[in-house]
Amino acid sequence: MRLAIVLAALPVALVLHLDSGAVVPVVIVVVLTALSALMPGSAGPALLIGYAALAMAFGDGHPLRLGVWIMIPALHLIHVTSALAAVVPVKTKIELAALKAPARRFAIVQAISFGVAAFAAFIPSGPGIGLVELLGLGALTVVIAVVALRI
Amino acid sequence: MSRADKIREAFAQSRGAHWHPTDAYSRAVWLGTGLVVAGLFLHQVEMVLFGVPLILSVLLTTKPKGTPTVSVRPVPRGAGAGVVHTVAHLDGADAEIAVVKLPGVTKAVPAHSPDLPVQIRRDAWGPGIDLRLDHLFAGPDGMHVYGPIVGTEHVRTILPPVEHHPAGPLPPRPAGLVGIHRSPRAGDSTELRDIRAFQPGDRLKRIDWRVTTRTGTVHVRERHAEADAEIVLAVDTRTDVGADVALWSSPHYGATTRPDGSLDRAVRRAASMAAGYLRQGDRVALMDLSRPQLNVRSGVGRRHLMRIRTQLVVCVQAAGWSSRVALRKLPHGSVVVLLSPFLDDEIAELAVQTRKHGHVVLAINTLPLPLKPDRETPWGEVAAELIAAEHRQRLRRMAEHGVAVTREC
Repeated sequence: MRLAIVLAALPVALVLHLDSGAVVPVVIVVVLTALSALMPGSAGPALLIGYAALAMAFGDGHPLRLGVWIMIPALHLIHVTSALAAVVPVKTKIELAALKAPARRFAIVQAISFGVAAFAAFIPSGPGIGLVELLGLGALTVVIAVVALRI
Repeated sequence: MSRADKIREAFAQSRGAHWHPTDAYSRAVWLGTGLVVAGLFLHQVEMVLFGVPLILSVLLTTKPKGTPTVSVRPVPRGAGAGVVHTVAHLDGADAEIAVVKLPGVTKAVPAHSPDLPVQIRRDAWGPGIDLRLDHLFAGPDGMHVYGPIVGTEHVRTILPPVEHHPAGPLPPRPAGLVGIHRSPRAGDSTELRDIRAFQPGDRLKRIDWRVTTRTGTVHVRERHAEADAEIVLAVDTRTDVGADVALWSSPHYGATTRPDGSLDRAVRRAASMAAGYLRQGDRVALMDLSRPQLNVRSGVGRRHLMRIRTQLVVCVQAAGWSSRVALRKLPHGSVVVLLSPFLDDEIAELAVQTRKHGHVVLAINTLPLPLKPDRETPWGEVAAELIAAEHRQRLRRMAEHGVAVTREC
């Protein structure tokens, strides 16, 4: 499972390198990946996901460029594999059947996420979209309320 | 409540036998919400898109309920050493994944999978833990866990094995009320014991008329009784040493005794000899030379063999050094089988004294020979040779006093 974290972090490092053209993001991702793989229950995965998200958000290029489409499943995969690696000791023999339900849920989440991304691609951008922003804030309020109720 | 107690309580709440959220849950909630909110306010759609899967993974999962358990089908009684098979039953409740620590391997399986086969290895006799299935149940995406739980210990006691020795030159006979050995007491066998003067109470049919006519006073013929032999198995549990002298002072972990050490040999031989003598119809007693309270009185039969084997395990559990050794309340005319590595003069002296008291003494040396010297010290070889020489001298002295000695066991 720890190997899966590393494999999921590989496209993240590659995208960040190609996006920025610098080595520093790759080094940071490698360090955070190592931390996540060694201690999946630590803050490592959160730092890795947060750093990659911020680096992509404040990078140059179109908001829905290819790198972003690759990063959406990759960052989610880092989150899921870290969560499972944190509850499974090292050298555990994992039956594939045990991963069937998480894989199914991952696919559902990704389908919805890509739907949201596709929806975002069609929303008009630029000044004068006050109504859209208002709708977005309303949707966010609903989401926060639902999440707060679940907690 | 002090601050330390509060920290301890918070720490205890984060694990144990109840459902509690993991770091992954906190990450999904706070990082997901943070990315979406920050993305909206900073007009960065990428951040929103990266945060959406995290929030969705929280929304699509629910906190599991119920009490998942792992139970093990008990190993049948009487299963001896070797490989034993049983199954572990998982009741996962709302859990999705069960992580179970089986002997030799840790497995992550679906929480509602069928029974898990469990293989238990029983390599050594004595008390021990067969199985302890530590486990943990994880909810969807590992966001909630139940445990880790330390499993129930399934303890067992394997009795020392019995090796069947050849029966010897004795003829086969059905087990009965009388034995096959000549008793020192007077009785009704055909073997002559003594001719003595008539005493009130003697039967008239025992009068020896020939001697009576010759001496002029009434004499009777006295015969031996036939009885079971009294065998006393005396085990020296004070030391447990192997062939490697370097390891003598270090404790041995993982088994009750050192494999093929002096105590292991003594117990195996004692169990086998007890089985042999009892099969022959003799009476067998067990004595712990340093702990007389653990002695077993003489008896016969299969149940007595089980009693002796069980008590041998108890003796080994209580084994330890004692400065005094004693053989108390020896039955008159018994055969004493002394099982010891004979590493000190006390035990040799005891064997000689027992022989002098008229008992037949068989000394079985349980010290593994030849001794391997300690290679880490230049005096290792000399020390090993000295120990071996003293040991040989002790055995020789016992033999000179009429003790039957076996040098190899």
